[in-house]
Amino acid sequence: MSSPSSLLPLEHLHPALWRAHQLGRGREAVQASGYSALDAELPGGGWPQRAITELLLTGTGWGEIRLLAPVLARVGAAGRGVLLLGPPAEPCAEALAQLGLALARCVVIRGDDLLWPLEQALRSGQVGAIVAWAPASLKGEALRRLQLAAQSHEGPAFVVRAQSAAAHPSPAPLRLGLAGAGPDAMAVRLLKRRGPVLEQPVLLALPPVLSRSARQRALTPRRTRASAQALSAIA
Amino acid sequence: MLWIGIHLPALSLESFIATLAPEPPTDERVVDDLDEIDLVGPVALIERHRIVAANAAARECGVRPGQKRATALALAPHMRLGEADPARDDAALMAVAHVAMGFTPAVSLAGDHVVLAEVQASLRYFGGLPRLLERLRAELAPLGHALRVACAPTAQGAQWMAVGGDVGASTFANTRTDWRGRVAAVPVTRMAAAAPHLPALEALGLATVADLWKQPRAGLTRRFGGELLADIDRALGDLADPRTALQPAPTFDSRLELFMRADDSAALLTGAAVLLNRLTAWATAHRGLVAGFELRLHHESCRKMLEDPSSRTTVLPIGLGEPVSDTAHLHALLRERLQRLPLAASVIELSLHCHAITPGAPPNTELFPSAASVGEGWQRLLERFEARLGAHNIQRLQPVADHRPECATSVRQGGEAASARARTLGTPLNLAAPAGPTATASGDPAHWPRIKRPVWLLREPQPLRDEGGTPLLSGKPLWLVAGPERIEAGWWDGGYAARDYFIAQDNEGALLWVYRFRRAPEVGEVGWYLQGRFG
Repeated sequence: MSSPSSLLPLEHLHPALWRAHQLGRGREAVQASGYSALDAELPGGGWPQRAITELLLTGTGWGEIRLLAPVLARVGAAGRGVLLLGPPAEPCAEALAQLGLALARCVVIRGDDLLWPLEQALRSGQVGAIVAWAPASLKGEALRRLQLAAQSHEGPAFVVRAQSAAAHPSPAPLRLGLAGAGPDAMAVRLLKRRGPVLEQPVLLALPPVLSRSARQRALTPRRTRASAQALSAIA
Repeated sequence: MLWIGIHLPALSLESFIATLAPEPPTDERVVDDLDEIDLVGPVALIERHRIVAANAAARECGVRPGQKRATALALAPHMRLGEADPARDDAALMAVAHVAMGFTPAVSLAGDHVVLAEVQASLRYFGGLPRLLERLRAELAPLGHALRVACAPTAQGAQWMAVGGDVGASTFANTRTDWRGRVAAVPVTRMAAAAPHLPALEALGLATVADLWKQPRAGLTRRFGGELLADIDRALGDLADPRTALQPAPTFDSRLELFMRADDSAALLTGAAVLLNRLTAWATAHRGLVAGFELRLHHESCRKMLEDPSSRTTVLPIGLGEPVSDTAHLHALLRERLQRLPLAASVIELSLHCHAITPGAPPNTELFPSAASVGEGWQRLLERFEARLGAHNIQRLQPVADHRPECATSVRQGGEAASARARTLGTPLNLAAPAGPTATASGDPAHWPRIKRPVWLLREPQPLRDEGGTPLLSGKPLWLVAGPERIEAGWWDGGYAARDYFIAQDNEGALLWVYRFRRAPEVGEVGWYLQGRFG
């Protein structure tokens, strides 16, 4: 350290203080994401607790649930509840169980007004983890309320929004942009975090859907029509 | 023997004020002074056109018991007047008795709005008399009554001391001589047996029990009857004084006639809170937990009601997944229900009915939240969601052993209450120990076992355009990267499916689950369907 040993390093004065080139260390304990490459880039080394984490994605099917599976599985295994609010389609129980989620402690909430249950769940502090698929109409004001409510929520809380929301400011301390990066892989762009700007997206290998050979086939350059026809001929 | 006398000096007024909206005297604050109830402005009760009780605000205006109605209204024109109603007072008094039954089974009512409870045997459990009195006051606080609590070695004595306002445990005399001295100071006006003879006693100059003692017993008995001396003997403990212990009713029924018509949920909740407090008091008396109740709203009659008498009453049944004894939770549930309830007409009366009670020990108060209390909070949260959003919006998933993806998940609706009732369709798949993921949750997710089903299933498979054997999604070709996986099932239940499933990749790399029928599509028929997305 360059500063004299008699002086305390600045960032040790207060947990909320960090240097612009360093990653922030949250005051709160974090939940490891299960992906070491991602943990290395997240302030504190994992998903923040008592705060909203925004996930911005272009459409469903990009692997957002597979990205969250390790932390949701861990929360369920600890005997705490997992809430899925307004999922984009019908969740498949078998797939969720394969991802390690404890279905007995997993509850899906549907309805037109999801902000109320979301806020109540965050405020109650009784839920282990929350994943909410936010409607397109979610306002910054509502997010601020949620962020306040989340202070009593002991666990990670994810709000999944459309990519277009990236242009609007948000009170969430952590915002990630998710995009596909080939089969069973995901590119995570850290749009906002307590720390330096990260230009390069973090590439993650998700829990696999394809076998090794199928992945090879998916990775080989497109011979769209020909290969499809060949495959269907085999079938 | 140690008797606690609880006197409710303003019970009639308070039970009337409870029917007034919207300033509730029933919130959590402790009402232990008569002046506290004056937040509602001047209020008085009349019986046969004469004032029988008035609160401090009314007394400030000069209203006194005994005045005529017109006089009182001239003194305080904005005063709210209510008819005295003994039945209303009894219901309120019974709630107080129910709370006392949480402390001892020997609870009885004495005239003049006094509840007597014998607590000698309960002292050790509650940690001594001061602690017991403190808890008693705390548990009576939600009912919102002004209280005068006194302790005495006899039931009759406790009644007199409580009515006289000799408040607090410190005035409890331990020795017999002390107690004689305290009984001697009781004025004759406080004795029920002396009521018919008060003018005569006053003429004789007999003002207190001590004055009576100085007179020859035979003469007193001849003039005023034996009951006067017998009461004194009972107060001293010289004469047996058996009291019949009250038993709580097996079902709870309480009604509250609202002074003003209630048109919104806030006004209804104010009234319902009074009933809920009585309900929990009744449950305490049974040492039970409320498993469900029914709130009935009686509407003001209007033309529509005449045609359909059944619509005069709205019944609001509330079931609980986990029985509770906590008024705040019941109140929260009721609030969610009432807020989304359209009222057919103004409500003039509320009644609460409960017969669902389960025996249970009250939970221990915990210093640190344990797993059990966390689970309880989770249940309560789900119950609140169910009350507000409806059971169909709260879903739990259960895998079913069926190969058809649309049948492989059974959705149970509602929180714990509903899931305990409902049976899952088909055979639930045993996934208690899923191979892999849970065990390796800490390992690298990239090496987890392959996921065979997409997380997101479309409600209806989406037909895809077929272009020379390749499916097209919104005009772009899908690339089949894995498959086929043949699923052929359902010939036994009419939902026959014979499909070949492929994992397809779209232009941007997302993985989709598409299928086509096993048989070749006929001309003009759609060949490919999209059924799921690997989220």
